[in-house]
Amino acid sequence: MEVLLGITGKDYCIIAASKAAMRGATILKASDDKTRSLNKNTLMAYSGEAGDTVNFAEYIQANIQLYSMRNASDLSPYEVSSFVRSELAKALRSRNPYNVNLLLGGFDSIKEKPELYWIDYLASSAKVPYAAHGYAQYYCLSLLDKHHHPDIDFEQGMKILRMCTDELKRRLPIDFKGVVVKVIDKDGVRELEYIDDKQILAP
Amino acid sequence: MSSPFAINGGACVAMVGKDCVAIACDLRLGLQALTVSNDFPKIFPFGSSTYLGLTGLATDVATVSELFRFKVNMYRLREERDIGPQTFANLVSSSLYERRFGPWFVSPVVAGINEKTGKPFICGFDSIGCIDFAKDFIVSGTASDQLFGTCEGLWEPDLEPEDLFETISQALLNAVDRDALSGWGAHVYIIEKDKVTKRLLKGRQD
Amino acid sequence: MDALVSRYSRPAFQNEGYSKEDQQQALQDVAPPLSLNFALPPVASAASWLRAMTDDHSNPNVPIKIAHGTTTLAFRFKGGIIVATDSRATAGNWIASQTVKKVIEINPMLLGTMAGGAADCQYWLAYLGMQCRLHELRQKRRISVAAASKILANLVYSYKGMGLSMGTMCAGVTPTEGPALYYIDSDGTRLAGNLFCVGSGQTFAYGVLDAEYKYELEDEEALELGRRSILAATHRDAYSGGYINLYHVKESGWVKHGFTDTNPVFWETKLKKGEFSNVTANLD
Repeated sequence: MEVLLGITGKDYCIIAASKAAMRGATILKASDDKTRSLNKNTLMAYSGEAGDTVNFAEYIQANIQLYSMRNASDLSPYEVSSFVRSELAKALRSRNPYNVNLLLGGFDSIKEKPELYWIDYLASSAKVPYAAHGYAQYYCLSLLDKHHHPDIDFEQGMKILRMCTDELKRRLPIDFKGVVVKVIDKDGVRELEYIDDKQILAP
Repeated sequence: MSSPFAINGGACVAMVGKDCVAIACDLRLGLQALTVSNDFPKIFPFGSSTYLGLTGLATDVATVSELFRFKVNMYRLREERDIGPQTFANLVSSSLYERRFGPWFVSPVVAGINEKTGKPFICGFDSIGCIDFAKDFIVSGTASDQLFGTCEGLWEPDLEPEDLFETISQALLNAVDRDALSGWGAHVYIIEKDKVTKRLLKGRQD
Repeated sequence: MDALVSRYSRPAFQNEGYSKEDQQQALQDVAPPLSLNFALPPVASAASWLRAMTDDHSNPNVPIKIAHGTTTLAFRFKGGIIVATDSRATAGNWIASQTVKKVIEINPMLLGTMAGGAADCQYWLAYLGMQCRLHELRQKRRISVAAASKILANLVYSYKGMGLSMGTMCAGVTPTEGPALYYIDSDGTRLAGNLFCVGSGQTFAYGVLDAEYKYELEDEEALELGRRSILAATHRDAYSGGYINLYHVKESGWVKHGFTDTNPVFWETKLKKGEFSNVTANLD
C-alpha cells in the first residue's frame, strides 16, 4: 500500500510519497523518504519491491550525477526519463529485473515548464499532467481529472494534493503514515512541511 | 496473468487507397482496466513516406520504435537517402526474428508509398517477424477482431485520399468502441506521393 | 368410510372467511421456500466446476463468459437518495453491450443496482420485487427497505459458495425509515450506510464523490455529483462506460433523470469546465 502522487501546475511539480516502510504486516519505519533527487531540477519517487527500489534509484542517481559532473550541465527531465526508462527496460529482459514503479518530476529550465513522467516496472513511460502509483491511482486519478487544470498556482496544487491524501486516508484500509512532499521548480528541489494530523473517516 | 499483448491495450490499422495509403492508431495507454494516459500514439515516422504502427506491450512499443529510429538513422547515413517501405518491412522482419526465442511483444504494421514506383505499400507482422503482405488492409492490437469486421465492411478498392480518411477513421473508431482496452482518441495519417496529412480524431473517452 | 367422505367432501360456501389457522396455512402454501430449486451440473463439486468454467480473470479463454465490469453508486442526502450507474457489459475485453440497465426498478418505491453477474442480479432482484409485493398483500402495508434488503441478503447467503456473483444496493424512502440505503453482496454482507460505490470502477467514483459529498446537498447538486462521479469512472475504468443512468429516490417514489450518453457529457465537461486536462483536444 505504498502511495506515490505527482501533480504539475503552472511553474512547479509536486511529488508526494508515503512515509511508511512496510514489510509484511509490520511498519518498520514511519518516516521513510521514497524519493531521490537526480540533479538540480529532477526528482524521482519510487515504490515496488524492497531492495530493488533503493538500489535502482541510487544507481540512476549516481549515473545522472556523473553525467552532470562530466558535462557541467544537467540533463533535462525528458532526457532523464529516457535514460531511466531504457535502464529499466534493459533490466526487464535480464536475469534479475527491477520491480520498481517510478514518478519522475522535473522542471525544464529551457522550456520553463514543469514535467512529470509516469514509469511502471515494465518500463512503460508516459508524460502526464498528474500521476499516481499503486492503489492511489484508483482513488486519486478520477479526483485529479475533475480538479486539476494546467495553469493552477502553487496553493491550488497543494489544495488538490490535500484532497488526494484525505481521500486515501478515508478509503485505504492500511495507514500509510502520511506523505513526504517535495516541490520542483525553477529554483530546484525543496521539501515542504506537510501537516496531516486530522483523522478522516468514511461517511 | 493476462497476455503481454493485452496489458496496455491499443489498436492500429493501415489501408490502401488510390495512389495513397492511410495508417491510424488509438491513443490509450492502460494498465489492465486502468487508463493511465490518453496521449500515447503508436505510429512512428521513418523517413518521408514510411510509417510504422506498433501495438502490444507499451514498453516494447517504446523500445522497438527507438531501435528502428537508430537503425533507420544508420541506414540514412550509409545510403544518403530515406528508407523505402519495402526495405523497411524487411528490416522490421529480420530485426524481430533476431528475438525469435524471447520476442518483443508487439504487432507491427508498416504503411508507405514507394518513392521510385509511387505505388502504395502496406504490410503487417507477427511478433517474430512473419510478414503479411496485403492489398487491402492490415489490422493489429486488442481490437483486431473488431477491426477485421469494420474493415471488411467499409473498405473498397481505389479510394481517393479524403474517402480513405473517412473509411479508415470510421473503421477504427467503430472497432475500438467495441473493445474495452483501446480507444480514447486516435491519430490518422493519410500518405500521398508528396504530402502527408496527420489528423487527430475525437473519439469516445469511455 | 364416513371419515374418508367427510375428509374429501365439503358443503359449498360453508366457510366464506378463512379462519386464523387456514390463513396461516394458505400463507405457507403460497410462499415458496427461500431457496428455489435449480438444476445443478452432474459433477462432484458443482461450485468449483462453475468457477473453473466462468472465472475469466484467471483464464481469459473460459467457455462461459459472464458479463462483468460496472460502476454503480448510491448515496443518501437530505433530499432522498441518488442512484447512478454506467451501462457497459463486458465479456473479457469485448464490450458486449453499451445499453445495459443496471438500475432495477423493484417497485415504484424501491430501486436495486446491478454489479457482478448480470443474470444473477436481474433474476434475484426481480424475485425480490415479487417477495416485496407478496409482503404488501399479506401485511397490507409496504415493506421496509431494511426488510427487503434482508430478504435478498438471506437469499444470497443460502447460495453461498455456489458461485453467485452480485454486488447490489437497495435504495428506498419509507415513512418509518426515511431515506434508507443498503449494500448487499453475494458473500452475504449486508450494510446500511450513507454512501456506497460498487463495481470495477468503484474507486474512481469514490474519488470524486467523497471530495464533495455532504448530507446537506441540494437536489440539483446531488444529481450533478452522481452524474459526474459515474463520468469519472467511465473515463478511467476500461470496463465501465456507455450511458449514465440516474435516479432520485424520494418519499413519493423514485424519479428517473435520464439515460444519457457519456460522450457528449464528457466533451462538455472538458471543453466548458476545463476538466480532464490529460485528454488532448488538439494536435501539437
